[in-house]
Amino acid sequence: MATVAPPVPSATSPQRGVQPLRAGQGNSFLWRKLHSLSGIIPIGAFLVEHIISNFETWNGPLAYAKQVVFLNSLPLVRVLEWAFIFIPLAFHALYGVFIAFRGRSNVNVYPWAGNWMYLSQRVTGLIALAYIVQHVWRQRFSGVMLPEHPGAAFAKVQHELSNPWMLAIYVIAMIATTWHFSYGIWLFAAKWGITPGNRARKRFGYVCAALGIALCLMGLASIYAVVYKYPNAPENVLPETPAALVQPAAATPAASLTRSLTVTPLTTQSQPRSTPQS
Amino acid sequence: MPRTIKVEIKRQSNPDAPVVTEKFEIPYRPNMNITSLLGEIACNPITADGKTTAPIAYDSNCLEEICGSCAMLINGKARMACSALVDKLQAGNPDEPITLAPLSKFPVVRDLSVDRSVLFQNLKAVKAWVPIDGTYDLGAAPRQFPQIQEERYPLSNCISCTICMEVCPQFNDSTNFVGAATIAQVKLFNMDPAGSVLKEERLRALAGDGGVQECGFAQNCVEACPKQLPLTEAISDVTREVIVQQVKDFFTR
Ligand code: HEM
Ligand code: SF4
Ligand code: FES
Repeated sequence: MATVAPPVPSATSPQRGVQPLRAGQGNSFLWRKLHSLSGIIPIGAFLVEHIISNFETWNGPLAYAKQVVFLNSLPLVRVLEWAFIFIPLAFHALYGVFIAFRGRSNVNVYPWAGNWMYLSQRVTGLIALAYIVQHVWRQRFSGVMLPEHPGAAFAKVQHELSNPWMLAIYVIAMIATTWHFSYGIWLFAAKWGITPGNRARKRFGYVCAALGIALCLMGLASIYAVVYKYPNAPENVLPETPAALVQPAAATPAASLTRSLTVTPLTTQSQPRSTPQS
Repeated sequence: MPRTIKVEIKRQSNPDAPVVTEKFEIPYRPNMNITSLLGEIACNPITADGKTTAPIAYDSNCLEEICGSCAMLINGKARMACSALVDKLQAGNPDEPITLAPLSKFPVVRDLSVDRSVLFQNLKAVKAWVPIDGTYDLGAAPRQFPQIQEERYPLSNCISCTICMEVCPQFNDSTNFVGAATIAQVKLFNMDPAGSVLKEERLRALAGDGGVQECGFAQNCVEACPKQLPLTEAISDVTREVIVQQVKDFFTR
């Protein structure tokens, strides 16, 4: 090791430029590792679940509705939703924006593969954030409430994608999100010391790329199914969904409440093409 | 007319002085490097438009890429001046000027000379040494297996040039990231049979603000390092050990 001569210490001015390591101080290590981990569990796990669930659209509106009913039948589903999706996602996204804006990308000077991927992780993260905000608002918290009307899920997405701009946004976001996730797994393995060796990192890169491409294609296939494979899907394929749950004033609340939500409608395949419930 | 080498140099007479660019034309000689080019200007400090100026201030010492002092931006990229050959830089377009500028992430002292003491402070912060000083003879050092020696040797080649830090997108005055060189030295000294006595202290130091967690794995360090240190491997290995140490400390300390 060559040594670097220390500068003449100046009593008046503080040190300029990048400051030295604050050895052992602060909590940024914990927050940064939580950010890293949250990208895999629970957010990454949820993304995989979400893409697999949505792939049910390939089998048509009714199959998709069953999947929505199943997910909403999970115990404590609203608690799960907040604890394992919304809160970790908000943390990862906001801390991710903080991380992204503290970096000084320099691909213009050093146009190397890893450097481009560093930039892409930030850009795809920001695209994902912008997309997720509108997606969660428009599909989860406004319009027809899908937890209460699972049968309306397919049509709700189909209406959304009938706008060609929305379709383009969904396609771009699908590519960006699966890219971000698959390179994220690679980053996680590299940064937690799971794949230290050059060859291990390279090999794992192929694994992550394959996973990313598979997820992306599944997602794009779902979009295709919603837009082109099942045109003019019925507004609600499970029309007996008890309206009373959201509209207490509706007629015969007792009767509709006693009807089974999950069993009856799913077995009556001939019914779905009936008129919308509302 | 004999061939000349055109050079454009970003200059600054002191840390607070305005930045100016001066142009020079130096008579061509084969096999020059950037340090000899700067020496040539020092012999005859006249700009291309005939103005006498002060010789360029720059750091250099060994002239064989081993002291680590001559890092600067050559045609915009961080490189060692003594191993940057003019003929190679100009291959194909001998009329293009060569641009020289100080490293961009370290405070300028004067012209091409920058203050890189932050690396020295970081090495001190992680105790990048083998503690063998005592008031009495500590005896012979423990033996080192050749397998360990072989893994350590490439890491011992670091010349503290700071290029890995200059090219890193995470090394800046907002993250105050420690940089790849210091992390690699932690691995080097943690693997030393005697140096490993400070292993836990080094790992705890690196979990502080600006520590290993700031790495975004852009991998520029390993591309740019003139001594080809296995920096990404070192960062990956050391980060794992820092995580393990933090978890251990959480439960036992
Ligand atoms: C679909 C949701 C998302 C998933 C599944 C996801 C997943 C991941 C994963 C697995 C990582 C790698 C962890 C690591 O660096 O060790 C990561 C990193 C990152 N994420 Fe996300 N992420 C998502 C959304 C976002 C959003 C909305 C942002 C906001 C900008 C973001 C910003 C970042 C950044 C900046 C990194 C890099 C951190 C670094 O290199 O140190 N992510 N993400
Ligand atoms: S690790 Fe390489 S680039 Fe970084 S200071 Fe050492 S020799 Fe220079
Ligand atoms: S002069 Fe020593 S490395 Fe260039």
